[in-house]
Amino acid sequence: MDIIHPLDRYLRTDRLPHIWCPGCGIGIVISAMLRAIDRHISEGHFTQDDVATVSGIGCTARATLYLNFDSAHVIHGRAIPFAIGLKVIKPNLKVIVIGGDGDIAAIGGNHLLHSARRNMDITVIMVNNMVYGMTGGQVAPTTPMKVYTTTTPYGNLEYPLNLIKLVSSLNTNYVARASVTHPHLIERYIYNALSRDGFSFIEVISICPEVFGRHIGFRNPVELFNKLKSMIKFKAKPSIDESDIVWGKEIVLGEYVNEYKSGFIKLLYGS
Amino acid sequence: MRYELLIAGRGGQGILLIGRVLGVAASKYSNLYVTCSESYVAETRGGDSRADLIISNNEEELDFIKVRKADIAIFMHQAQLVKFSSLVKSNGTVYVDETYVSELPSNVGWRVLRASYTKLAEREIGNIRVANMVALGHLIGTTKLINPEAVEMAIDEVVGEEWSELNKKAFRLGLNIGV
Amino acid sequence: MRLEYLTGNHAIAEAAIIAGLKFYAGYPITPSTEIFEYLASKLPTKGGVVLQFEDEIASINAVIGASWAGAKAMTATSGPGFSLMVEALSLAIMTETPLVLAYVMRAGPSTGIATKAGQYDVMQVRWAAHGNYELVVYAPWSVQECLDLTIKAFNVSEMLRVPVILLSDATLAHIWERVVIREPPEVSIVNRKKPKVPRDKYKPYEPEEDLVPPMACFGEGYRVLVESLTHDERGYYKATNEVQRRLVWRLVNKVLKNKHLISDSATYLVDDADYVLIAYGSTARSAYALIRELRSKGIKVGLYRPKLLWPLDEEMLINSTIKAKKVFVVENNVGVYVREISRVLRNKEVISIPIIDIEVPTPDEIFEVMKEWI
Repeated sequence: MDIIHPLDRYLRTDRLPHIWCPGCGIGIVISAMLRAIDRHISEGHFTQDDVATVSGIGCTARATLYLNFDSAHVIHGRAIPFAIGLKVIKPNLKVIVIGGDGDIAAIGGNHLLHSARRNMDITVIMVNNMVYGMTGGQVAPTTPMKVYTTTTPYGNLEYPLNLIKLVSSLNTNYVARASVTHPHLIERYIYNALSRDGFSFIEVISICPEVFGRHIGFRNPVELFNKLKSMIKFKAKPSIDESDIVWGKEIVLGEYVNEYKSGFIKLLYGS
Repeated sequence: MRYELLIAGRGGQGILLIGRVLGVAASKYSNLYVTCSESYVAETRGGDSRADLIISNNEEELDFIKVRKADIAIFMHQAQLVKFSSLVKSNGTVYVDETYVSELPSNVGWRVLRASYTKLAEREIGNIRVANMVALGHLIGTTKLINPEAVEMAIDEVVGEEWSELNKKAFRLGLNIGV
Repeated sequence: MRLEYLTGNHAIAEAAIIAGLKFYAGYPITPSTEIFEYLASKLPTKGGVVLQFEDEIASINAVIGASWAGAKAMTATSGPGFSLMVEALSLAIMTETPLVLAYVMRAGPSTGIATKAGQYDVMQVRWAAHGNYELVVYAPWSVQECLDLTIKAFNVSEMLRVPVILLSDATLAHIWERVVIREPPEVSIVNRKKPKVPRDKYKPYEPEEDLVPPMACFGEGYRVLVESLTHDERGYYKATNEVQRRLVWRLVNKVLKNKHLISDSATYLVDDADYVLIAYGSTARSAYALIRELRSKGIKVGLYRPKLLWPLDEEMLINSTIKAKKVFVVENNVGVYVREISRVLRNKEVISIPIIDIEVPTPDEIFEVMKEWI
């Protein structure tokens, strides 16, 4: 297929169209990620062959199928350990894990925690739509309280997990939150994450109009997008205490941890 | 040739070390085949400790991994002698540490060789922990099962530099018992 | 060539290094831990990496990742850990990832007796992972075979792009024996096939005549796609009968059609045997001792010992038992592998001798059952 968009070189264009629903936020995240990677490549920091993307199972995880890098679409929740295996053997690779909140925070939560603790030199991008999309709208550990889902038909009774607070409590180099309502921040944070050693984590708040929107009464993607946008606050130096997501009120974007400690790979191999 | 050896005593008496040294001496320095299985209870001191060795010059003769009827046994303590004496052939050769073994079964035809390994180690070497090597020396000196030089090479390899001389001294002490 | 005096676990670790291991990931579990500890101490001095993960799930997934980065990779575990690993084992089968898994069996079910032996998991190892597949499983009976079969496990995993399991047990893990160690070129080491075509022509799952696709790894410029979903030769997800059938049958057949390259078994005095004992792993040592004893009394007994437990070499089994009046299957469990033997020897009298013994069944225990039938 002819290249009709400058970022097409990073896509397996023969696999398009993609599976994502109209109004889904994942496309915004992917294009921002590709712009961040493209910037690094054009600045000569690494090449397209140095990039590896790894994902588990879920809507977001499908991204690796379309990306023209060395890629792995593995099993649910286990993208992070696969990525670690890659990274320690080929330390020159820029290893990016991309997944949804179910994949990364629920079933894969233990791996997230321990790879962050090791300050393992990988970048984890978690697209948080606060619901299980691919399987049809079940509760996630990130689902706000009281929300109806197909597995909480009487409303969600559980407090949502704050991934920013969790990962920040560990020995990581970079923790940031972006939102699909502000794509330039996604790009900037992914660019910043890929500029350093050690573990980096970016949560991107996204929208799933088809499932989550339906559950909370926003079937129209534009309305859901605008609803999310109304809650977003950007802070240059947000504090961890402000990181709780209170749906309907406030979601604070920003770089919560921004450090340059030695990553695991440097400790393992020396400089 | 094929021998079954049973070495037993209380945890802390260095039973497994006898097995380890014999195993290395036989397999690496005497061109013999060896199977050794070790068993011990979780407590380091006081419980049963036992090493079963099958030694042969023919690989095909190494079959069952444990002692069925020992040709040779070392008993370092009364409790394990009582417990495992039925595993020794009625005409077997048995070494006992008289320091801790006072009674022997009367209804067997064992050839018993005895010495106070622990007391000897304490008196001659100044360290009761090498009583095991005194016993091993006694066994090697009287059975000629393995060349003593091979055993000393094995001691060097197994116990490490710091304790090697002490252990070899104890081993030589045992070699000369009754000589 | 050199002589060493090692335990079964040490021998597995030593063999892995000889075979070219570059990555070990694991989680401590009795009775396999010495493999991990031995490698943690030795592998870094040979340019390899050893990592302890948060669980067995992470361990095997990291091993799969490392293998795709081009390293020979392995993990080791026991029953409870293997139970956690089976989903990823299925991933390794689907993505044709070479890896070696040393499975040191212990007494179960559940936590059972962590330090004690049994052969309860010979069926679990074969069938626990989801989907249909052929799995290559070797069972050693001595420390020497722990070494030899681990090297073979690596070679087969690289040759066929499959996970291979080395099935040991708590008894073998901890016995000490003399081992002859041979290093290359005295022993042959197999490495996975690499692509012979440029990137634009390369398809990661396009097989050659032996049904095995050449394997490009991450960072080599091939833009490989590791795909857990049903995929075509390019690695593209396709939910059709045609692609599903083609893929599943190829995954099965690449093992079956190359069986002559992986088969391994031993026999002892079966040619004139009226009775053949079939046993594997440490229990086969007891059966062998009993056979030697019975032979000295003039009873014609022989031994058939599959070293390749899965897939069973049916032809070898049939040929080795052709004259036997009765066949006995001795196992340290409730009698499970006997079902596989009975399936193949359906016209023979096959008698199960299941002996649960937390050390190893003794020759006397076996004879106690067997004597009623001879």
